[in-house]
Formats: sequence, C-alpha cells, structure tokens
Amino acid sequence: MTARLTLRAITKSFGPLQVLHGVDLTVQPGEIHGLLGENGAGKSTLLNILSGVFRPNAGQIEIDGKPVQIAAPRDAQACGIAMIHQELQQVPELSVAQNIYLGAALRRTGGLLVDRRAQEAEARRLLAPLDPAIDVTAPVRTLRVAQRQIVEIAKALRANAKIIAMDEPTSSLTPAEFERLVGVIRTLAAQGVSVIYVSHKMDEVFRLCSAATILRDGRLIACVPIPQTPVGEVIERMVGRALMAVAHHGFATGRVVLQVAGLSRGTAVREATFTLHAGEVLGIAGLVGSGRTELLRLLAGVDRADAGQITVDGTPAPVMDPRARIRAGLGLVPEERKRDGIIRHRPVTSNVGLPAMRAFSRAGFIRAAALRARTEALMRDVNLRPFDVTRAIGSFSGGNQQKAIIGRWLAAGTRIFLFDEPTRGIDVGAKSEIYDLIERLARDGCAVIVVSSEMPEVIRVSDRVLVMCEGRISATLGPDQISEAAIAAHAIPRQGQTQGQPA
Amino acid sequence: MTAFLSNIRFRDAGTLLGLVLIGVVFASLSPTFLTAPNLINILQQSSINACIALGMTLVIISGGIDLSVGPVAALSAVLGAAMLVAGVPVPLAMLGALAVGVACGFVNGALITWGGLQPFIVTLGGLSLYRALALIFTGGTPIFGLPDGFRALTNGNLAGIPNPVIAVAVLAALAWVILNKTPLGEYFMAVGGNPEAARIAGVPVTLTKLAAYMISGLMAAVAALILIGRLGAAEPTLGTLWELDAIAAAAIGGASLMGGRGSIPGTLIGCIILGTLRNGLTLMNVQAFYQLLATGIIIIVAMLIDKVTSGKQG
Repeated sequence: MTARLTLRAITKSFGPLQVLHGVDLTVQPGEIHGLLGENGAGKSTLLNILSGVFRPNAGQIEIDGKPVQIAAPRDAQACGIAMIHQELQQVPELSVAQNIYLGAALRRTGGLLVDRRAQEAEARRLLAPLDPAIDVTAPVRTLRVAQRQIVEIAKALRANAKIIAMDEPTSSLTPAEFERLVGVIRTLAAQGVSVIYVSHKMDEVFRLCSAATILRDGRLIACVPIPQTPVGEVIERMVGRALMAVAHHGFATGRVVLQVAGLSRGTAVREATFTLHAGEVLGIAGLVGSGRTELLRLLAGVDRADAGQITVDGTPAPVMDPRARIRAGLGLVPEERKRDGIIRHRPVTSNVGLPAMRAFSRAGFIRAAALRARTEALMRDVNLRPFDVTRAIGSFSGGNQQKAIIGRWLAAGTRIFLFDEPTRGIDVGAKSEIYDLIERLARDGCAVIVVSSEMPEVIRVSDRVLVMCEGRISATLGPDQISEAAIAAHAIPRQGQTQGQPA
Repeated sequence: MTAFLSNIRFRDAGTLLGLVLIGVVFASLSPTFLTAPNLINILQQSSINACIALGMTLVIISGGIDLSVGPVAALSAVLGAAMLVAGVPVPLAMLGALAVGVACGFVNGALITWGGLQPFIVTLGGLSLYRALALIFTGGTPIFGLPDGFRALTNGNLAGIPNPVIAVAVLAALAWVILNKTPLGEYFMAVGGNPEAARIAGVPVTLTKLAAYMISGLMAAVAALILIGRLGAAEPTLGTLWELDAIAAAAIGGASLMGGRGSIPGTLIGCIILGTLRNGLTLMNVQAFYQLLATGIIIIVAMLIDKVTSGKQG
C-alpha cells in the first residue's frame, strides 16, 4: 500500500533557532496518526509546513507516492490537506454554510450571484453524518466551540480533503463533546481520510490512534504502534526522561501574604478560595479553559470580580484596578507577552520603569539616569541578552522579554508575582533561567503563583499545586501529593457532573 | 549613541533633509525665497498649523486622532472675541478662550474613555458639533472690533521674530519636555503603543487619553487666539480643514497613526515643509490647484520613504 503522506527529513529554522531537525512522518490512507510532543517540540511548526504557512529549509513531501511542493496554503488545499487549528479560522458573523463555502462559493446566473440555497443544501448534506443538529443558516458565532470544529471538518470535506490535521482539538471540549468528536474522526477514517491528531493527552491518543510519531526539541524520537506501546514508554520518550519527583527546595514560610475568599467571575471562576504564603511557589494546573488565566486576571485587577474578597498582608484590597493591585504589591506576568506585556517600540528602560514611573521622577520629571541605572542593575541580575537596555524591547527574544517583564515588577517593589504560562514561546535554554528566577523570587521572600499547562513545569517549580476544573479549585495538592497522575485526576471533569456554559 | 535614540534622530534627520531639499529647489528657482523676511514669513504662516499639529502629535502618539480641532478653534475664537469685545480684561478673556478649548478636549476625551467610543467617530461628531455651536452663538456673522491691546500681542515681534513664532517655539519646547522627560510622555507612548499592556503595567490609561485630548483642545484655542489677533475679527467658520494639515504635518514628521510613535521636532519640520511648499509655489506664481497637487504628492512620498527606510531597519 502506498502511504497517503510521507514527510522526509523536514528541516526548519527561524533565524539562528533551528526548530525542526530532519523530521520524518508517514501516514497511511484512513489512518488516525498521533503527533506527540511537549510544547515547543515542533508539532505546530510541522503542521504549518504541511499547510503551506511555513516553507521548510530542506526535506521532501510526498502525497500518494508523488513528490509535491507546498509553498502556500493554496498548494496545501490543492493537495487535499486541511488543517483544523486550535484557534478556529472562521468568520463569526457569516452563516455555517457561508463559512463552509468561504472562498469557494457556489454560483449561479453565470457566476455572478452566490447560490445560497445550493450552498445550504450541500452544507446540510456534509454535516448530516457529523452533527445533524447544526443549523446551516445560523451565524457561526452562535455555535459552541465543539460545533464550530465540526463545521471546520465539514469545510475540509467540502474541499475533498484526503488528509485532515487537527491541532489539539479537545483543549476546550467537554467529555461529551469529545465523545462526539471521536465518532466523527472514526467516520472520517472509515471513509479513507487520513487524520493527523496532535495532542499531548495520552488517553485520547490511545483511544483514537493506531500509530504515533513522537517529537522532542524539534527531533524525531520514534514512530510507535498504538496501543501496543506502553503509555509510560510513550510519555518517557516524549519528555525525554523517566517521570520522577524533582527534588524541590521550598522556601515557603508560615506568613500569609494573600488570602482569597469566594472570588468569582461568571462561570469562568467560581468561588476560588485559597491562601498564599511568603516564599511560597503555588502552581495552578488545569485544562485550557478551566479558569486559571481568568483567576490570575482577577487577582491582578485586570478583570472585575462579581464576588469575593482579596486580602493582601492582612489588608483588604477591594479595588478592581491594576494600579490599585500594583500598589498592594501584586504584578502580572501575562501569557500573551506581545498583547498584554510589552510596549514593542519602547526601550527596555521604559518597559521596566512603566509601573514605577512616578518613583523614578522628581518634581514631575523622570530621572533618566536613575531609571537607566536601576534597569541596568536589574537586567544584569536577570542576565538580559544582548545587554542593551536602550534597545526596543520588541527586538529581544521571548525569553529576554520575559526577563524584562519580571524586572518591571522587581523595580515596582512587587511582592506577589503572578505568572501565566511563564515559559510559553521561550526556547529551552531560557526556560531554566526563568525557573531559576522564580526560585530566587521565592528565596527572597516573595510569593509566586505559576499557572502552567505543562505538567513537568508545574511539578518542577511548585511547593503546592491548586488544580482547577471548570472554574472551581478541585484540589489542593501538598508537597508530597504532587504528581502528574494526581493533577490529571482532578483536572478532568467527571462524567455526569454539571458542565460549564458553552464557550 | 544609543540605538533607540539614534533611530528617532535618524527619522528626524530624514524629515530635515526633505525640508532642505525643498528649500534648495525653491532657492534656485526664486531669488526672493532665500531672504530673511520671506523665511520669517514662512515661519509665521506655519505657526498656526504648528500649534494645532503639536497637540495632534500627542493625540496620535497616544493612539487617537482629533478631527475636531478646527471647530474647537472656531468656538474658542468666537467666545474669546465676544469676551474681549464685551470689555473683559485681555488676560482673562484669553484664559477664557483657552478654557473653552480645554473643555472641548475634555468632552472628546470623556466620550472616548468613559463612553468607550472610537476617537475617529467622537471627534468627527465634534467636528460638526463645535462648528454648529460657534455658528449658533454668532448667528453666522464674524465678531469685529477686537481691542488693540490684544491685537498688539499677536502682531508684535521680538528682535524681528513675530510673537506667534516665539509662542509656538516655547510651546513646542514644552511639548517636547512633556513627551520625553515626564511620566505623562511615557504614558502617551505606552498607551498608544499597546493600551492593554499599558493598563496591566499600571498606566492610568483613562487619564492619559483625557490629557492628550485636553492638550489638543488647548492648542486649538492658542491657534485661534493667534489667528483672531492677526485678523482683528473672529469668524465662526475659521479653522476649516485645519485637522488635515495638522495630521499631515505629524505624519510627515514621523508620527504613526497606529499610535505609540511620533516626534515633536519631526512634526515642527513637517509644518515648515508644508508652509515652505505653499510659500515657494506662491512665489513662483503656481496656481492654487497645483499647490494642492504638490502638497498631496509630498505627503505620499514622505510616507513611502518612511515605509521603505523603516522596513530596512526591521
């Protein structure tokens, strides 16, 4: 049998950073093939090459045994490749049928007018085996995420896709929705469509896939048969070491610096109650959409809570405003650095000094020399590279931007650091520097909260771990209870439990 | 020199080079162009646009736009003139006119920040609203008979330099200090560069935007005072299309309409470029239609050069 898709020795670098080192991937017709790896392993880059977003520096792509060139998304489409992205690429205001026929509208009257009726009939036919409950005339924005995914799959089928790649399709699905998706994926496979299923969730991979390709740090580690390969072995190959408890030197004291009681916002965060101690690193684990980021934003005053109290050092902090929370000693290191963290065109000095601009001023004027000296001292301390605080922050790598944001809160005298996915988009080398910084903050008596989707990260840095599930804190794990199994057990919603509102 | 500062200066040097080139062309074509009285004339003619453009630059840097500056100037002018004619002491009447400008700016800013409306739409509404108020207040007729004591302020000079030019120079220096030496300036650039990141970093976003629009209103009122002093009358229709000249000057000077970037020296040079162009073409007896054509070409060429050179710097 000729393989449906063969990738050979795919190599890709961005500037000096090589993200794929000669990766191979083979998928048979009608196969559900897992693509596994931790964040940053190169899964997304490989998919982007397959869908024509990036061009590989070297390597070949063959479809049904014939070599093909994929230089643009259009080429990928012509080869029968479709992508279901994590962030669905749809026009929310257009109807389901219009989205399915986006860019390929059915026409009548000599190609002048769009034949809506035919589009809707065809859309209905495509959706019937997938989810007949979807109204093809409804705007896509009114659908739940799971339904929007189904619409995306229907769109792929409309384009006669032979290969459908799904990037972590279940990250925001409830278990019931996942079951439906499993059915849809199996239907596709039975029709001969090849599915590349990207995930780092073992249970899903073991239910769906017949083989899995494992990547780590941009390299092909193995292609293993599933379910013949033991789960432990797959995980071990994925993370590159046997899972074991990392010795963690805690600096937690008994002094409570932050008390949170009944903090709620809509269905995103429900009655969060916990305490945080000086010198403590508190991890917050949970699935995407479990309310972790939302909880941090409430603590930082970025969003307003509907209910609940926050007490800092024994003093209530009632005002829901970032400025007030910064004065109370809290600082947010956001997940989306470009969107929420940096002022791209401004130098490091301005970015670091921003919350403390008044402290750096005398009689209304900024003391530029003092600001620069303080920034240089902080940036030397966190090892900014290249060491030039007058350069625009946008020209630094992700890891160095993150160091500058940490420096910003050090300059502002922050005592409670709120990290949201502190190492997302940061290369492996800078990652351990960020971990070291977090540990140093704790040693210096600061309190730290770390939200992370990477279990090894949470386990590595945390003294205690809160697990969130559907907006609630479902468990608090003490030092000797922290393990991937324990976190996973509390992060996944139980069947029959009340589900969250549609996203 | 530091990379960031030299980048900014690099851009200003480019604007200055453009001005010099235009000057060289006119000097070679017209013998009267490069004379002291004519150069002072250019500065004087540019002073009103420069006034407006200084405020506009701060608004643009903070990520907004102010289309209402002309009508704000007209409203300040007619209310100030009415006070002057009614015998209110000159300093008090001038303060009154400035207060009108600041108040209009506050209304714009309040609608944008607390009202959550888009700056373009708010100030487009203001463009009609303030003009209407000026027309309604005057019944559409100009206010004549401004006292000589007031007119002497704008028509006087210091060592041959007209007072309006000196006033604009002082205001430009102030604007430069605000932008580069005070927390407010950092806040303008942070809010314009990335409003959400600025908010999370503790920047008082609402106050920053309010300040930008209030300064813009204030500068419109200053421009109004300069104009009515020179004319000796306040027309409710004055200031038509001022907003476009000011935006053009700021853009030529390197202000990004996306917010976060701009330069006070750049804007000043931009104003002088536009003033020089008009002056030079008039000296050469070029028809007004072609002057308009030249202005349009200069703006677009400046932006194309900006695009190409900033692309090279990454």
